[in-house]
Amino acid sequence: MGTVLVVAEIQNGAIREASYELVAAAQGIDGAEVNGLVIGSGVGELASEFASKGAGKTYVVDDAAAENYNVDVWSKAIKAAAEASGAELILIANTPTGWDVAPRIAAGLDCAFTSDCIKAGAGDGGYNFVRRVFNGKLDAEVSTSGRTVATMQPGAIAPFEGSSDGGAEAVSADLSAGAKFVEIKVAESTGVDLTKADVIVSGGRGVGDPEKFPEIIQPLADVLGGAMGASRPVVDAGWLDHPYQVGSSGQVVAPKLYIAAGISGAIQHLVGMKASNFIVAINKDPDAPIFEVADIGVVADLFDIVPALTEAVGAAKG
Amino acid sequence: MKVMVCLKQVPHQDARLDVNGDGTWIQEDNIKFEINSYDTYAVEEALKLKDAGSADEVIVVSIGPDRVTQALRTALGMGADRAIHVNDDAAAGTDALATAKILAAVAKEEGADLVFAGLMADDDNASAIPPMVAELLGFPSATGVVATDFSDASVKVERELEGGALEVVDLPKPCLIAIQSGANQVRYASLKGIMQAKKKPVDVKTLADLGVADSASAAQNKTTINKIYVPPKGDTAEILSGSTDEVVGQLVTKIKELGLL
Ligand SMILES: Cc1cc2nc3c(=O)[nH]c(=O)nc-3n(C[C@H](O)[C@H](O)[C@H](O)COP(=O)(O)OP(=O)(O)OC[C@H]3O[C@@H](n4cnc5c(N)ncnc54)[C@H](O)[C@@H]3O)c2cc1C
Ligand SMILES: Nc1ncnc2c1ncn2[C@@H]1O[C@H](COP(=O)(O)O)[C@@H](O)[C@H]1O
Repeated sequence: MGTVLVVAEIQNGAIREASYELVAAAQGIDGAEVNGLVIGSGVGELASEFASKGAGKTYVVDDAAAENYNVDVWSKAIKAAAEASGAELILIANTPTGWDVAPRIAAGLDCAFTSDCIKAGAGDGGYNFVRRVFNGKLDAEVSTSGRTVATMQPGAIAPFEGSSDGGAEAVSADLSAGAKFVEIKVAESTGVDLTKADVIVSGGRGVGDPEKFPEIIQPLADVLGGAMGASRPVVDAGWLDHPYQVGSSGQVVAPKLYIAAGISGAIQHLVGMKASNFIVAINKDPDAPIFEVADIGVVADLFDIVPALTEAVGAAKG
Repeated sequence: MKVMVCLKQVPHQDARLDVNGDGTWIQEDNIKFEINSYDTYAVEEALKLKDAGSADEVIVVSIGPDRVTQALRTALGMGADRAIHVNDDAAAGTDALATAKILAAVAKEEGADLVFAGLMADDDNASAIPPMVAELLGFPSATGVVATDFSDASVKVERELEGGALEVVDLPKPCLIAIQSGANQVRYASLKGIMQAKKKPVDVKTLADLGVADSASAAQNKTTINKIYVPPKGDTAEILSGSTDEVVGQLVTKIKELGLL
């Protein structure tokens, strides 16, 4: 159904995996013709690679102005490629780049928009999507009419691994920008390196009170010889420092044992811990999404379970 | 400098979420609402500018039904100067683009030099409206902002990327900034603030007042939610049952099996 324009994102000099997930989503839409778009400076080869690995005919905006991500440059480049390709659907990954620019494209083209989708398909005069709402607690089926811009959640579907015919084609656009890129600041290392711990005990907003972290969460981490972690609201509230944060904007960890207490399981937390070898979730809400990634779940008050577990582990060690 | 803050009232984070009768949204009767968490940080960011003397006026704007007055009063209690409440049945259930058109119309009418919003609404999780408002106004924008540094002609912002990296961007004014949670320490409405807020104006407007009745109502939606439901349980956890002692006993056994004891 129409042309689907897949916008690639380059990370550390390569097209990131999330872009190939978009290709897979586009390939999965009945009757769609897939086109790609690569934006950057000196990206001719990457555009050819994208064209041959599933994106088919790939538009390329290769300009010194696009050396670093810039919201104005990207929105003008994508709008120009949308016009050149006549795309009915424009797919962008829901990354910090995607959520910054994608809604602007929809507003600029005065067309339908939906974000962070986990499924995409052809619809009736538009497209159908599935996405999560209420921080993962509910799913929504969304349909659009006419031309559509959509972002897809990274990791929701497997990346495309086949090949395709197609070459790169330059598209020109006025790339003048109001916003100015200044620099990228990388996170400073702080000594708290959760990635080295065999056991991580993380507390979430459900812990409710900053004092409870040293009183309840840290002792369980200590008795297991592990480290304490936290979800983002705990860090936002200033209860713990940023190095303790697990998730997409914190540390990505994969310990032998991850215990999540009072954490609901929003996607941004899950991406930071779901690769753990064994996951125990303690939450009083039986519908909390954390139970979907956990191996063992305890539906109970963490203030009953965590201290009792600390004591029992201590006793078992003798 | 005139500063506008877009704020949404959403179900309280601990509210019980039940799907409504026609299965397209949640049951909103008898649940508590609050200011969207991200927007509280946006209000604070605007009030900091006022404290510093660089904002002349902070205007909070919300689209929603009668209950939204409460959220606006709270923001006024924190220190905002006045509020605009777009309350119109035709604006109920607007999609992101229609909502953005309404907010852009307010920003234009007010002549806002700076627009703040939250990165994302805790209910629809769309992260859509702020960049749309910016596009409609022709403003540069940045989302996921955790730090701001204002000068006369521009504002330097730090945007959060993945894994703790930050991108520093300089935006010429007028511009729009969508704030990420944790960007600042949000103040509470003081008792004095709440008393003063009672005297502050809340302007109620309709889509017709803003001249967008034909372009930005729910009837113009291009995106529709057809169905909302509890996600099907996939490969879910084994749920332990029993008394606290029994559950803890099973956990200890498991931890031993994992070779961690
Ligand atoms: C761009 C972006 C990046 C983000 N990055 C991150 C990130 O890196 N890490 C992160 O964690 N989040 C991140 N978030 C935030 C994320 O969307 C969620 O808001 C957050 O993970 C929720 O934290 P929580 O589970 O602790 O709180 P909530 O979702 O409020 O959950 C609290 C849970 O505690 C349970 N509970 C309450 N009391 C008890 C009790 N006594 N006993 C047992 N259970 C109890 C409740 O049932 C509930 O499930 C990010 C969001 C965005 C938009
Ligand atoms: N009804 C509304 N009224 C005012 N501002 C809103 C409204 N809906 C969304 N916003 C703003 O847009 C941001 C992002 O919302 P969303 O795009 O729905 O995730 C919110 O944090 C608010 O700042």
